[in-house]
Amino acid sequence: MWRAQRDTTPISPRPSAGQVRRRVTLCCAGLLTLAVAAAGCGGHTKSSVGNTPVNGGLATYALPANVTPNYIFPFSPGVDFTIVNLDNLQMLLYRPLYWFGDNGLPYLNEKLSLAAPPQYNGQVVTIRIKPNLKWSNGEPITARDVVFWMNMMKALAAKGDWGGYIQGDLPDDVTNIHAISQSAMQMTIIGKYSPQWFTSNQLSQITPMPKYWDRTGPSSPSDCTDRVSDCAAVFAYLNKLGADTGTWVTSPVWKVVDGPWQLTGYSQGVLTYTFNNKYSLPLPSKDHITKFREVPFTTEQAEYNQLQAGTGSNAIDVGYLPTVDAPVALPGKSVGQNPVPNYNLQPVYTWGLSYMPINFNVHDPQLAIFSQQYIRQALQLLVNQAAIIQGPLHGYGEPSTGLVGDTPPTAYLSKQARRGGLFSFSPPEARKLLADHGWNVHRGSVTTCGSPSIGPGHCGKGINRGAALNFTMMYATGNAWVESAILQLQSNASLVGMNITLSSGTFNDIVGKAIGDCGPHQNQPCNWQLADWGEGWSYVPDYLPTGDELFGTHSIGNIGQYTNKHNDGLIKATIQASNRNAFLQTMYKWQDWLAPQVPVLLQPTAPAALFESVDNLKIGTQSPTLALTPEDWYFVR
Amino acid sequence: MTTYLVRRLFQALVVLMLVSVVVFSFRWLLPGPALRRAYGSGRPVVFQYLAWVGHALHGNLGFSYVQGASVGSLLAASLPRTLALTLTATVLAIMVAIPVGLAQALIKGSVADAALRGVSYLGYAMPSFFLGSILILVFAVRLHWFGAEGPQAPGIVGVFTDWRDLTLPVLTLAIFTGAVFARYTRAAAIESLASDYVRTARGAGAGHRRVLVRHVLRNSLIPVITLAGLSLPQIFGGALIVESLFNIQGIGWRLWQAALKHDFPVMLGFILVIGVGAVVGSLLADIGYVIADPRVRFTRQ
Repeated sequence: MWRAQRDTTPISPRPSAGQVRRRVTLCCAGLLTLAVAAAGCGGHTKSSVGNTPVNGGLATYALPANVTPNYIFPFSPGVDFTIVNLDNLQMLLYRPLYWFGDNGLPYLNEKLSLAAPPQYNGQVVTIRIKPNLKWSNGEPITARDVVFWMNMMKALAAKGDWGGYIQGDLPDDVTNIHAISQSAMQMTIIGKYSPQWFTSNQLSQITPMPKYWDRTGPSSPSDCTDRVSDCAAVFAYLNKLGADTGTWVTSPVWKVVDGPWQLTGYSQGVLTYTFNNKYSLPLPSKDHITKFREVPFTTEQAEYNQLQAGTGSNAIDVGYLPTVDAPVALPGKSVGQNPVPNYNLQPVYTWGLSYMPINFNVHDPQLAIFSQQYIRQALQLLVNQAAIIQGPLHGYGEPSTGLVGDTPPTAYLSKQARRGGLFSFSPPEARKLLADHGWNVHRGSVTTCGSPSIGPGHCGKGINRGAALNFTMMYATGNAWVESAILQLQSNASLVGMNITLSSGTFNDIVGKAIGDCGPHQNQPCNWQLADWGEGWSYVPDYLPTGDELFGTHSIGNIGQYTNKHNDGLIKATIQASNRNAFLQTMYKWQDWLAPQVPVLLQPTAPAALFESVDNLKIGTQSPTLALTPEDWYFVR
Repeated sequence: MTTYLVRRLFQALVVLMLVSVVVFSFRWLLPGPALRRAYGSGRPVVFQYLAWVGHALHGNLGFSYVQGASVGSLLAASLPRTLALTLTATVLAIMVAIPVGLAQALIKGSVADAALRGVSYLGYAMPSFFLGSILILVFAVRLHWFGAEGPQAPGIVGVFTDWRDLTLPVLTLAIFTGAVFARYTRAAAIESLASDYVRTARGAGAGHRRVLVRHVLRNSLIPVITLAGLSLPQIFGGALIVESLFNIQGIGWRLWQAALKHDFPVMLGFILVIGVGAVVGSLLADIGYVIADPRVRFTRQ
């Protein structure tokens, strides 16, 4: 899934609290002396918090700035297939068949899954729903609920009515979907796939749907569970309901849940949930909050102000700290001195890959230059990840070392990638690479090709004498650290005569331009060579970073259109590996081969959020899948 | 005067119709045939326009698939907050600025006048995001006297009764507006005090208070009414920066978000309402202008 950091554009640069106080002194001494003096006498006092868990209570959670859920039906069309809909709404109410996220790692969590691990027998996969699981209306969760979802996929996914659809993947890669008993269902896989990949990237996307939803109107039952042809009308009804926030609380459809929460209030963008007493999966403790509220914010500043100032019913129990206000984390420490008294600071990193795509489109006028591996390597050598982390990210961030997400480090990461990136920041090495390939390197000016030919010591195929290293980079505004990082890259590039022209736009604009194919037939100019919308790709809800979605020819996430047959072969070998060991070995082989190819430029992984939780609310370690689990939260006294 | 008002009302209706025609024609620029077809593309444009106006008059301004709500419901959620903020701030600014401006004119050149001028310069020059941040830091974060965000309660009553949360955003907006109004009132009052009619009134034996209220104040109100009239679109259009800073999902903020997210139904619906509000507002300002300044009446006649 395309990923943007939770940060949003501040309308204006927000000075730090210290800067504000200094400016108050300078500018408004006469006006505010009394108030500032009084303010100096105010402030928080450290509250004393016990360790006795309390059952019940309401926790208020600050939604990411400028974002509110807008689609409740867990079969989201593309435009509504967003992290905020999935994590902040749908997954609280409707549980996926297989839950990923276990002790801070993006692995299958068998305990929180609705079904036992799937059994693979040749091409046939059998899924068994755990016993005694119930919907909130008292009906059991059955294998037919899985078939219902699969049938809807069969009927509608290819039409673009399900945002997670990738041609060739689910449901195209299965057939003969049927329930074999109340609790078990089977399907036949078309083609050969690794069980690890199929479970983590295909079955992971299924969310069973209750029989109650199999209808085309309030009193018009249907039979999508048995007849695929009925599914379009059912979808039309549920889609319309799901997109209308006015029905979320009132419609009986959305009251049938199997998750730990029921939506009981929606007003002015505030979502109020009540604990579902019929929730039948295990909870870590009998003590937990029983009400949960998500509140929207216009900007991060507004949220941060409220976090610091909120009292009583307006107080935020779990919010976030804007990166610009984050205290610098010293080397070796995960956080700095928390500026919000009586709160705990916890950086949360998304399971994903943070990168800048390179445009390999055949209509890119600079394609000949970017086709040269050494040019891409030189560019990667100019990305100073450590400086970005220590500078605009205030010490919160992890360097990206390979083409498989390394935050958190998982078994999927090869030994080579664990050791660190191949191309650590080094302008001299970048300069040498260019000079060794026949470029006349001009620091502060534009480097040009001096030796236009093929072979060692020459610029390479298609590059003419005098060709200049002029690139256009588009980036999304709104993330202060991204803008700083881009400016830094531009400056670093100028050290070796690479001239990067910047163009900016909103996140939607940049992702839209990057995803939208360019060239004469697409009626869109191919006038960008590099892009950055702040993050990259989130491996949710397809949790294995096998590269088939990001780096394969024609992959849905391969927006730079990188293509290489050997790479495609290695990816195919990975996702077809017969067992876990073979799967990991082929995956290591693939990523170690691809890393020096530099199909994208790696940049640091920024925290998805710097969570602030009030002292007397225990929220545990947040999952890198970003799935919220407030049913695990409890107050202490 | 009645003739003038009737004529002005007629003009306002014509402008309203033009606004609706312009907004309606924007629909033809929308991407996606579904949006354009909403009112029946097979029928003549005039009928489509009339159908659209009919829907709009019944509060049906379309549906936002980005927000998952009807434009009417989004408007109903946003308008009370924006009106509470901007109307209260404007009224407060006028209530403070007129006496202050008048007093400054009376003590023109004194130390107090200089000090008040300095304060109004400061209020005028200080960006609202900066002023708002200071107010939040001092009065919400440190002292906990007021809330750091605007009222979140639904409905106009809930918003107006939440004075604790309404105070800081209103102050932020009112300080700037009040500073502007005070400066104009002061200048107008100084001009009035030196005018022939004031000298004549004094010569005729009118008391100081009567001169001030009947002649100076009344004439000094004219630029304020003009300014208030000019600021009416802002009252309906919201105060984007203050709304963003104080977490008020008002008209301005929503319109800005709609523009960023290409949420065309919201953009068109809100623009129509803002346009109507501006036209009605400027009509009211014109009426006030006529009441305050008899010369306008006679000139028009």
